[in-house]
Amino acid sequence: MLRILVSIKQVPDTTNIRINPETGTLIREGIPSITNPYDIIALSFACYLKNNYGGKITVITMGPPQAKSSLREAVEFGADRIILLTDRKFAGADTLATSYTLAEAIKYLQAEEGPFDLYLFGKQAIDGDTAQVGPGVAVRLQVPVITQTVKFETLDLEKRIIRVHRKSENGIEILEAKLPVLLTCDKGLAEPPFSPFPLILKAVKAEPEIFTADGPVNYQREKLGLRGSPTQVKKVYTPEVKKKGKIVDLSTTPLKKVVDEVIELLKSKGIL
Amino acid sequence: MEELKFDVVIVGGGPAGLSCGITLAKAGIRALLIERGRFCGAKNLFGGVVYTKSVKELVPEFPNVEPSPVERPVTEEGYYIVSSEGLVKLLHRKKDPHEAFTATRARFDSFLAEYALKLGLEIAPKTKVLDLLKEGQRIKGVIVDRPRAFGDPRPTEIPANIVVIAEGVNRVLTEKAGLIGRPFGAEDVALAVKEIIQLPKGALEARLGLAEGQGLAVEIIGDITACLPGTGFIYTNRNHLSFGLGLFLSNLRESAFKPYELLERAKNHPHLRELFKDGEILEYGAHLIPEWGLEGLPRLYGDGVLVVGDSAGLVNPLFREGTNLAIYSGIMAGKTIIEAFEKGDFSSRTLKAYEAQLRESFIYQDLITLKKLKKHLFTNIHLFKTYPELLYDTISLFFSAQGRPKREVMREIFELIRKKRGFLGIVGDLIKVGRALW
Repeated sequence: MLRILVSIKQVPDTTNIRINPETGTLIREGIPSITNPYDIIALSFACYLKNNYGGKITVITMGPPQAKSSLREAVEFGADRIILLTDRKFAGADTLATSYTLAEAIKYLQAEEGPFDLYLFGKQAIDGDTAQVGPGVAVRLQVPVITQTVKFETLDLEKRIIRVHRKSENGIEILEAKLPVLLTCDKGLAEPPFSPFPLILKAVKAEPEIFTADGPVNYQREKLGLRGSPTQVKKVYTPEVKKKGKIVDLSTTPLKKVVDEVIELLKSKGIL
Repeated sequence: MEELKFDVVIVGGGPAGLSCGITLAKAGIRALLIERGRFCGAKNLFGGVVYTKSVKELVPEFPNVEPSPVERPVTEEGYYIVSSEGLVKLLHRKKDPHEAFTATRARFDSFLAEYALKLGLEIAPKTKVLDLLKEGQRIKGVIVDRPRAFGDPRPTEIPANIVVIAEGVNRVLTEKAGLIGRPFGAEDVALAVKEIIQLPKGALEARLGLAEGQGLAVEIIGDITACLPGTGFIYTNRNHLSFGLGLFLSNLRESAFKPYELLERAKNHPHLRELFKDGEILEYGAHLIPEWGLEGLPRLYGDGVLVVGDSAGLVNPLFREGTNLAIYSGIMAGKTIIEAFEKGDFSSRTLKAYEAQLRESFIYQDLITLKKLKKHLFTNIHLFKTYPELLYDTISLFFSAQGRPKREVMREIFELIRKKRGFLGIVGDLIKVGRALW
């Protein structure tokens, strides 16, 4: 039986978000919260594994009390245990403090119910886009990490080996890893399942276990929240679109001329 | 796995379904409410005014609740009568500022849902009811799109003693239950289009003359709808306002306008556009409103089934009632069901008490009134074109009468009235409306 841990985050729905051009800060007012889309992939993959190999899914999240709704959503993916890390002392955490807070909670859970075989994180959160928390937790747990996992191939439960595809700048890497391993999940790894009715009903009423800075995990206070976060945001700005495309109007230019022009352009850039 | 069997299944998480669910949960009846949207209210839309009295029937502690669904109390209410040349405002300060309030459905419906959950109502969102379980004519439950387990292709059957249909205006299940005499046509429904517009900070209060904690609900008649039968509305929310139009689908179809064109035209009306200046559209939406009234009323009960709210067509457009009628009908259905469980009889013999209750209530009386009004009023083009123009022109003449013999001004006014509609025409219209209302 697989023991899977999924770490998720509730984020503002960035498809609706706007940036105040004067201050460079996000206008968060009235923006609905959603579960980070890459974390939905992680949950979907966990659900797939549980349904095909059997297992237990534990889901944790760190955030304000309202993050409970993301944990409830996790129940629709078959989560068996949901845990909310919430405390004012956790607030303002950068990726360093966040990975510390999460890793300590995971260590506590492992001491309580045995080690996990798989740790699933989203590739990155769409509000911060750092992609640092998954690897940060892996280091603290001293487990190998595969980032940007885009495809699952095989899982040998006896040999405890998983084979996945990882997207890199140079193409796709096909990797095998011995369990336990931490994966950060990217588009293509798994599709959200059509949840069964009983789980929908269960999710509405599901109440997460609450972990705070005071317990049950023993935290070093100075490593939490804003205090434990060395990152300083100097400036936030909207990147300007620098490269302008070239538009040729086909109604005024003959097609052949356009094609020739495109070939010339590609040649001049060294692409052809 | 726990067995999926309920005393009652309610289809639809709007005010009608939730009110029924709350009534049942209070009586300890095991009810399940199924909602298609991500949460109750996610797919719902209304203009924006709710009446406190009806909500108190469900939530006695209302409006002292946290978090509150109240946007603003309606302290000022009335009409804007718009002609192409100008605007007449007819507003009144309400005696009881807590009588009505503005809200958005996303927050109002989910507020009722949270309340219902605490009372023990089971709610399943994101789930669609595909069909009814039947045994002969008797309704025995529902079939939902979701399976019982991951990967199972079969939909789930959920048996229940009684099914309450609160599916809203489209009434697919009401038809499947065999309760509909005739399908509705374009003249039986109104299309409401609405935008929620955020104004610059402080502009809402400044432009409408409101203080904090004060709110406005205005219906707009005349050129706002390009003189098509129907109205516009402005309701103030906490930080934004709801602006929209409601028109009969049949008139809309015949006119050259698309709904969004009419809405754009209304927003840019020379005598209203200042109100929306520098506004930012936060949301837009459209929804059908059932206005089939008595003629299109489905049978409201059958063996093991009841119909409530918009599915029944319980809407009074003239007095802006719909949400409250949904609530009352939900409560009445709930009470009837409680009785049915006491008797152990779920057939139409017991359930017809619901229709009897409805017939005795103001809701049914109003449907009769509305039937007459609809015939004389809503089809009377003068109401939406001639009278708004006449009213503005008359008032305009009256208030520019300085420095002229007043008899001459009065003569001019009478001449205007005679030309535009004629005294006989006006008297005729008044009699028709009077007959309908009394």
